[in-house]
Amino acid sequence: MGNTKLKETKASKETAPYGKFKEIDGSHPLKKNIPEAVVEYQVRTRHGGQVAFFNFDLARELGLIPENHPDEFTKELKEEILKTFSIVIINEYDQMNNFNYPKEEIRPQTYMATRYLQLQHPCKKGTTSGDGRSIWNGQITKGSKSWDVSSCGTGATKLSPASNINKKFYQTGDPTVSYGCGYSEKDEGLSSLFFSEVLAKNGLETERVLAIIEFQKGLAINVRVHENLLRPSHMFNHLKQNNLPTLKRVVDYYIDRQIKNKVWKNVPTDSKSIYDYFLNQVMETFAEMSANFEDQYIFCWLDWDGDNILMDGGIIDYGSVRQFGLYHHEYRYDDVQRWSTSIKEQKQKARYIVQTFAQIVDYIKNEKKKSIDDFKNHHSVQSFDKRFFDYKNRNILTKIGFNAKYADFLLENCKKEVEDFRSDFTYFEMAKSVKGPQKVPDGINWNAIFCMRDILRELPQIFLSRGLDGKISEAEFLDIIKSSYATKADLKRSLRRDLKIRSYQKNYLKLVNKVAAKFKVTPEKAMLDVSMRSSVINKYDRVTGDSITTIVQKVMNQRPKLDAAQINEILKEFTSYQNLNPDKDRKPSNFETEKDQSKLVKGMLQIVREFRDGI
Amino acid sequence: MKIVLYSGGAEKENRFLNQRALELTGVDVPKVTFIPSSSYYAEEDFKYFVDEFSKLGVQRFMHFCVDTPFTKTLLNEVLRSDLIFLGGGNTFYFLKHLKKHKMFGHFKKFLKRGGVLCGLSAGAIVLTPHVHTASFPHFDRDENPWDMKNLSAMRLVNFEFFPHYKNSKRYDDELLHHSKKSNLPLYACPDGGGIIIEKEQLTFCGKGHVFFQGKKFTISNYLG
Repeated sequence: MGNTKLKETKASKETAPYGKFKEIDGSHPLKKNIPEAVVEYQVRTRHGGQVAFFNFDLARELGLIPENHPDEFTKELKEEILKTFSIVIINEYDQMNNFNYPKEEIRPQTYMATRYLQLQHPCKKGTTSGDGRSIWNGQITKGSKSWDVSSCGTGATKLSPASNINKKFYQTGDPTVSYGCGYSEKDEGLSSLFFSEVLAKNGLETERVLAIIEFQKGLAINVRVHENLLRPSHMFNHLKQNNLPTLKRVVDYYIDRQIKNKVWKNVPTDSKSIYDYFLNQVMETFAEMSANFEDQYIFCWLDWDGDNILMDGGIIDYGSVRQFGLYHHEYRYDDVQRWSTSIKEQKQKARYIVQTFAQIVDYIKNEKKKSIDDFKNHHSVQSFDKRFFDYKNRNILTKIGFNAKYADFLLENCKKEVEDFRSDFTYFEMAKSVKGPQKVPDGINWNAIFCMRDILRELPQIFLSRGLDGKISEAEFLDIIKSSYATKADLKRSLRRDLKIRSYQKNYLKLVNKVAAKFKVTPEKAMLDVSMRSSVINKYDRVTGDSITTIVQKVMNQRPKLDAAQINEILKEFTSYQNLNPDKDRKPSNFETEKDQSKLVKGMLQIVREFRDGI
Repeated sequence: MKIVLYSGGAEKENRFLNQRALELTGVDVPKVTFIPSSSYYAEEDFKYFVDEFSKLGVQRFMHFCVDTPFTKTLLNEVLRSDLIFLGGGNTFYFLKHLKKHKMFGHFKKFLKRGGVLCGLSAGAIVLTPHVHTASFPHFDRDENPWDMKNLSAMRLVNFEFFPHYKNSKRYDDELLHHSKKSNLPLYACPDGGGIIIEKEQLTFCGKGHVFFQGKKFTISNYLG
């Protein structure tokens, strides 16, 4: 009897290694618990799709495929991916026109498009906005952790800007509207894929691409995953509408989810303090995220609607996301009807989001909505300002190459010295070209001229070579730091600039000497450690937004066409190279590492180099 | 002229040569620069390089890639080193970029000034008159997808060098065949071995062999 049972278990495992896909069937707690926060759609099978990409690593993490599943497609796996994700909604247009679809093609469960605030909608209260061309496929749970899964390009919903501006429902695929037609494209999916995997490898919170299903004419369904896909804008719409019961339910849902996913620990249990805890978490998240974005030159177009960012500070919607090579703090994206915010304005937008959450928490606790202006100087906003600079201080030490132990010591004991150095650093980072503002293909920029990564990488080496008392001259400093954007006029020396060059080196050495003294190592040893870490962190060839766009074009134009397995292989190779974590595992070496990068990845790295200073 | 040619192998295997190379600098606190054949994952190689040479007391290291743009300031600093170590990898790729940046002239001046120039595998081959030995044996050779025709190299020594040599018939067949066409002696060293050159004098480390005009000789006098 026992034996029979064992055999049965084994057989079912062998025959159904992809059983977990069945969990992704449109069901999601948000739909059940807060129906007014979503719009439900019936969906049907969309034919003609092919798997263009599948993220095996992510699928293993989610438990969608067994741990020991190779990065290879079986016929069953491909079928399962298509069955699960190749769907399209039956929207209002279809219903009004009495389109009849074969019954067997219609899925039993509805799928939801979520409602959220969006600044590009005419209604600034979020009554009509939300997922315009996406639906949520559901939720996957593995152990105590769960992930949300959504797909972009699954049909035109009534929540798109086009539908509301033009006051009509659109047929999915209507060629007269672009975004409003409900489809998305393969290059969008690939851009999100390459960008998000690089950022995820480097420790940033982001949505990740699980699969891309491609159709004719470059169309695609892009499936994305994150632990929690809620955005601030999922709450802001209910706040704007003074809908306290729904607002409270969405906030409660979010809190509950963070606790269940063990993201938050030691959460108070009494009903009032829990909202203070929530506010504090939001404040910390947005302070850290905005400091990180600023220091890693990530442009994300944050705005008051809280749309382009996730509640946990994760990046979503890579359409307008960029990573600059230099601190191009005057770059603005031209979105036809408006200019985007600039990278340095992101902090103010993040601050305003925290202010809005202070308003939300007060509203929930007191059941009376006060004006947003009443929260301008709220303690959470003040904490945000402080914590923002705390994170900036840590970031600069990390960028220099100090390990966590050294950085902790400096932050704790040498704050003034850290800030003095950061001030010198910022002076060079902010320097702009004398040429003034210039038009760029998708907006406007006023070029930054100095590459801070280069000086961070090369200065410690020169100090080591010359000895720690051997400074570099002003001319040498400018030779190292100049970017491809710097003109002769930009590199002109001035008394102030010369003083800053000296101050930069003096304050840099001060930090190294402090660490050496505290940890009883020679300054040369501390400098060597910094130098080694810095050479990885400040690698010469780091991706930028422009390089990702060009790389995606290269992948798209590759002939013969790359199949899903090949894209997966290239992606792994490329993102591993772009992992700038100095503590990552090292491969064994004998100073002649196998340089076996594929020809395509070689070409991709060439592109990265070419665009390294750009936007 | 102070040159050290390394065949290859793990760090430990090369400790004797490393020690000898450092002694050749004649400096108590030498400045050492690592030049990898390619910047691809070069930071990782550099870490291993530092780990190994730190054990021998070196504290002052630089890392310099020739296949990415570099500044005059950094190049000048590199040339002020006491020891420059050229890493291994694809010989043709390395040669291409060394030539592109006219590094041969810089290295010659560096040697003239008393610096120690070391090369491992590909890094050693580029110090010889040409890099033909990277093209064989057919079962273990470097790819030349750039189809480089001019294979002339630094000509710092008047012999050819074959790294990673294994004393076996299949290696010997190809090396003997090559030596018939070449008028230079070809020194073949196993991993961990190499050649130290000081003032025109060659010292062998590890059991090496020389292939010349279709014949193979074993070098009986060697260190290590």
